[in-house]
Amino acid sequence: MSKKKLLLVDDEEGIRRFLGLTLMDLGYDVETADNGESALKLIEKVNPAVILTDIKMPRMDGIELLKAVKTDFPHIEVIMLTGHGDLDLAIESLKFEAADFITKPIDDEVLEISLNRVMEKIQLKDQVREYTENLERLVEEKTQRIVELERQNAAAQVVEGLSEVLSSAAHEVETGSGLFNELPCLVSIHNRYLEIVATNELLKERLGDVVGMNSFDIYSDRENAGNACPVQLTFKTGKGQRSKENFIGKDGEEIPVTVYTAPLPNKNGDIELVLDISVDMTELKRLNDELLETQYKFQRLFDEAPCYISVQNPDYTIAEVNRRFKEDFDEPIGAPCYASYKHRDKPCEKCPVQRTFKDGETHQTETVVTTRTGEQKNMLVWSAPIRNAYGEIKQVMEMSTDITEIRRLQDHLTSLGFMLGSMSHGVKGMLTALDGGIYRLESGLRKNDQERVGEATAALKNVVGRVKKMVLDILYYAKSREIEMESVPAGHFLQDTAALIVPKAAAANVKYNVDIPEDMGEIKIDPSSMSAAIVNFLENAVDACEPPLPGKEYCINVTGRDLGDIVEITISDNGTGMDRETKEKIFTLFFSSKGKRGTGIGLFISNQTIEQHGGSIRVESEPCEGTTFTILLPRRPESKKQPKACPCT
Amino acid sequence: MSKKILIIDDDQDIRSYLGDLFGDNGYETVMAEDGAVAMEVVTAEKPDLITLDLEMPGEWGPRFYRKLSQSDEFKRTPVIVISGLQANKYAIPKAIATLTKPFDAEELIRIVKDTIG
Repeated sequence: MSKKKLLLVDDEEGIRRFLGLTLMDLGYDVETADNGESALKLIEKVNPAVILTDIKMPRMDGIELLKAVKTDFPHIEVIMLTGHGDLDLAIESLKFEAADFITKPIDDEVLEISLNRVMEKIQLKDQVREYTENLERLVEEKTQRIVELERQNAAAQVVEGLSEVLSSAAHEVETGSGLFNELPCLVSIHNRYLEIVATNELLKERLGDVVGMNSFDIYSDRENAGNACPVQLTFKTGKGQRSKENFIGKDGEEIPVTVYTAPLPNKNGDIELVLDISVDMTELKRLNDELLETQYKFQRLFDEAPCYISVQNPDYTIAEVNRRFKEDFDEPIGAPCYASYKHRDKPCEKCPVQRTFKDGETHQTETVVTTRTGEQKNMLVWSAPIRNAYGEIKQVMEMSTDITEIRRLQDHLTSLGFMLGSMSHGVKGMLTALDGGIYRLESGLRKNDQERVGEATAALKNVVGRVKKMVLDILYYAKSREIEMESVPAGHFLQDTAALIVPKAAAANVKYNVDIPEDMGEIKIDPSSMSAAIVNFLENAVDACEPPLPGKEYCINVTGRDLGDIVEITISDNGTGMDRETKEKIFTLFFSSKGKRGTGIGLFISNQTIEQHGGSIRVESEPCEGTTFTILLPRRPESKKQPKACPCT
Repeated sequence: MSKKILIIDDDQDIRSYLGDLFGDNGYETVMAEDGAVAMEVVTAEKPDLITLDLEMPGEWGPRFYRKLSQSDEFKRTPVIVISGLQANKYAIPKAIATLTKPFDAEELIRIVKDTIG
């Protein structure tokens, strides 16, 4: 059926495809074109009932297409598809008799409503035409009778017959037995003397009783032949007219209308009567304004809600997002949610949106997203179905609330638990090593094997050291301690700290060079936490030299330098070194390159301590060549210790 | 001739412990600190039994076991898993025993004796 035929014009292939599919789903026969020019070529072939066209297109844009269609094929209704930005163009297009406009991204529901409305309009027009044709036939029949009467009777009888015709037509109009009174239109019938013969109820209501008045009296500013009213033009040209006019209302106010006229010729082809059907534009405009206002209200709500809101299609693509979403994520519309929002290649597992598409329930999930600025946010995500008039789910809304702060609080607690879990493996290894040490000590003593006793003691010492360190790490992390600053001589402090590692270096057979001048002035630090932080680096340096490669001589250099306001400490080793990934992760909690010997806490804490002191760490490392840590500490950290200024104060 | 046991563990202290423990019970021992080295040792030493740790910095235990079971010559070598990992008994279902660290030395020796005498 040609009525169901649609022509979709858009330069974007994606829109043609997806919208095309949606339209087919709605039961239309869809043809597509990629610009106005190719659309015009298609029109004659396809003869669509409705054209949906984008406004901004290359070669020939939507407005031009609209004008061309309305000139050549006035019966085709045109719906404009517009981006948010070109609302002016959209309104402009209404002036050129577009049936409607829909803003992109296109909401299926809005699309369907609009199409239904246009279809209704077409149907209405068809009915009017049908009625007009009926009327013509009616007039013809009656005229036939008149002709008969004429032949049979005198001229007087003709007049009588004619008046019968007119009154019968008028009667239908007046009593509303026909379609006229159900139309939201102002309908009037005019005779060739430009007198109003009949009107429908609505017209009477708006304009008063105008029957018997001149046709042009109901128009404002239409009086003479040079400025003829559409009725007059219809009589003159014999063709139906269509124009925008103003009626004068009952109280003298102007009523903007779109006028359609149709000639009603008699048997000889002379026009006997003219039918005038006018659509009150104020009513349409009011409805339109009301709709726009509601849309605007929703849009504002949508944009200002303190969440990320997106509307998604079944294929994971984002149809619409609110302002906050747009601010924080790169051009999301049209892209799959998992790509633009979650930065993934594949859909997320347990996607709440997909689940909602399936069961129509709301679903909840939690995820971490990274904004345009690189900020990581924990989000609580809710999904909710958007149903169309038939209750079908065409799209799903996803709403994410930022719960980063709540998570941050929880994190400290959960990571403690997590830490204990992840370390239990290491702890078990240590317990086994303790068992082993005791076994070897006992059996050595029993056998009087001095060598074994010595080895066992060394192993026990080592294991106890590991246990001690782990316990201290845990205690440190479990307690968020304040740093207590005091002024100490930098040279002494660093020398003492460096000395702590001498036995460990010796045990590992690593050469240990310390180059720290005695006099490096005072430095304000928390000595115990800073000492622990530096020891971590030193111990790591020794660990990096183990297990030794045969024939390689290992060496660690520790230097301290006075750089004025800053004290520089470098710790370098020629051990295993690190690849880039390891280097990037070393300050992360629970990252360890030492297998079960490491807790993954050490450098995390060291880094934290140095940051608390306003200092910084630089790492240079090459696999197999060694690592150099450079630590810069300000002498007086107070100025840098200030918390970051809060933007809201 | 005494039976030979291969000890695979990345922790030096535990290797020495197991070495002494087996040595005191009359077994010969060889060592490997991760799965990658272990396969070479297996080929060179042809051990009668293997104790295997699961999590090691180089090559993990399960991967070593897969290689071992693909070798016709060595796939029948009994393996005892000794690891601190939870649920480790699922890692290598065909192991003749799975012990969790810290393990009971007497139990280990009993299993070894039952297996290779």
